[in-house]
Amino acid sequence: MNASLLSIRGLRTSFPTRRGLVQAVDGVDLDVRPGECLGVVGESGSGKSVTFLSVLGLVRPPGRVEADAIGFLGRDLSRLSPSEMRAVRGREIAVTMQDALTALNPSFTVETQIVETIEAHDPSVGRKAARTRAIEMLRLVGIPDAERRLSAYPHQFSGGMRQRVMVAIALACRPKLLIADEPTTALDVTIQSQVLDLIDDMRATLGMSVVLITHDLGIVAERCERVAVMYAGQVVETGPTRQVVETPVHPYTRGLLRSMPRLSHLDAPLLPIDGQVPDPTRLPEGCRFQPRCPQAIEECLQPIRLRPVSPARAARCVLAGAEP
Amino acid sequence: MTPLRLLERLLQLVPVLLGISVIVFAMMALTPGDPVQIMLGDSLANEAQKESLRRDMGLDLPVMERFVRFLGNAVTGNFGLSFFHRRPVGEIILERLPATIELTLVSLVIAILVAIPLGVIAAVRRDSLLDRLATVGSMLGVSMPGFWFGILLILLFAVQLHWLPVSGRIGFGQEVPAVTRFVLVDALIAGRLDSFLDALRHILLPAVTLGLGMAALLMRVTRTAMVEALAQDYVVFAEAKGLSRARVIGRHALKNALIPTVTVAAIETGSLLGGNMIVETVFGWPGLGRLVVEAIFTRNYPLVQAAVLLYAVTYVLLNFVADLLYSVLNPKVRL
Repeated sequence: MNASLLSIRGLRTSFPTRRGLVQAVDGVDLDVRPGECLGVVGESGSGKSVTFLSVLGLVRPPGRVEADAIGFLGRDLSRLSPSEMRAVRGREIAVTMQDALTALNPSFTVETQIVETIEAHDPSVGRKAARTRAIEMLRLVGIPDAERRLSAYPHQFSGGMRQRVMVAIALACRPKLLIADEPTTALDVTIQSQVLDLIDDMRATLGMSVVLITHDLGIVAERCERVAVMYAGQVVETGPTRQVVETPVHPYTRGLLRSMPRLSHLDAPLLPIDGQVPDPTRLPEGCRFQPRCPQAIEECLQPIRLRPVSPARAARCVLAGAEP
Repeated sequence: MTPLRLLERLLQLVPVLLGISVIVFAMMALTPGDPVQIMLGDSLANEAQKESLRRDMGLDLPVMERFVRFLGNAVTGNFGLSFFHRRPVGEIILERLPATIELTLVSLVIAILVAIPLGVIAAVRRDSLLDRLATVGSMLGVSMPGFWFGILLILLFAVQLHWLPVSGRIGFGQEVPAVTRFVLVDALIAGRLDSFLDALRHILLPAVTLGLGMAALLMRVTRTAMVEALAQDYVVFAEAKGLSRARVIGRHALKNALIPTVTVAAIETGSLLGGNMIVETVFGWPGLGRLVVEAIFTRNYPLVQAAVLLYAVTYVLLNFVADLLYSVLNPKVRL
């Protein structure tokens, strides 16, 4: 097995609310390997975004993050001080958010927003050198007329260009890992693939790994070597994308695949998963998917761990291993 | 913003100012009673004398013509003679205005220095003890009448502790030659540090009275705007870039949060420039507010008229300045 770049073990994130404690992430184990693209799929509220906000120490109080370990390049991120963590954020692990329109600050020029990132991680860089690097980054992500566009404000860019600007800012310090949180959700279909192509290109150019967080299994099938499917704060299935999509083990993964339209079977009916995502303050006992699962049995009421299915695959299901 | 846009925006102020002039003029023209009779009071002037005074003051002309003359005079800064002082109204106002402006500016500085840091901290440490204390403090500040707070300050710091003077603008023997008529500035020009400190001691209590009242409101506004700004995606993104907490809060969030604060500060400054009559009276501050109070009591119409016009113009201009500041704070705002 390849050595991991990022290795999350036993991550738990909770938020106290008036209705009770919400366990948004509950015992997540995940690995990201050097140079790979890992797709993290799940519905809204499945904990996929919170998982990576937790890794970066961006969960705000009263939210609580606990982990057995978050290994990254020989360090344990869960034991870093706030200032050590700050040096990792943006420098070694970068983030892009769903909508560049809200993620970029409307009050500052693109130049300010790139240059401040470079300066935060390299205080000795001169203003001029930082500017030059900013122009380089804008060119790299395909912004035409980069030098002139540097002094523009975010609202002066089109949606697709704005998304490119955000990628340029995120990658300004050449991180080892990019966490792309729903990079296409806010975009037109035509621009979606452009942005995904850009992220692919950057992954190759900068030799970084990418975590692609999305609710669209189709995008993952197309772009990611490996996939992790999340449900109600837990990883329910993980493995090489092709194998998971072709022979899903977990009933939830199967349900997701059946509810997805396919160009090759346009006349096939779409089958939604029965029932609803559980209330996060009142999660079901045992397997979280069990109340909606067509194959639920007595054993499903017991706590279930992620079980290996094959050397490269694992699923959180009592049936895992019983089926091919 | 281009200079042309600025000029265009300035020209838009003209109709507003014209409207204000109509109201001010109408206020005078519609006031019951004969101004001549009021001026002459109980003196035994005969009809001929009254007629000649009326002609002198142009009161025999048709209303429209009087308005045009009033407008022409107002534009050239001629507001007529003060009934009471027998001197041009403009001259008297110009003597008093700097004291009010000086007090307003110092109050504004105090308000900003108190309100913005407190509002930011309260927003960052939401629901903390400090946030709660600041909230209670600002409620007190908003609801406490300025004159009462001022009297309390006088009682404590001037009467009990003797730390600060009770009233006035500068102590006896500390006067400096008037250059700008801003005493603090004039003292520095004259190179008199002792006078400067004395003037500072005099302005402190009235400025704190006005400044804290204003700070109470500004703090509420800043806190609310900051809470909203801190919840925005761009704050998370700024943190994800590895920026320091100070930069995320002090630049990314604050710059966006300052827009409502600027609006309220402009409005409050406008009312300070015009409405601090009570506080000026309490502290014996020789400013415009006190002058206007006196003018109202002595029915000194030309002076009141000029002052009202001045207040209105100040208000309009301050709003203009606030608009300018918006476009600096938020590049999406195009004037």
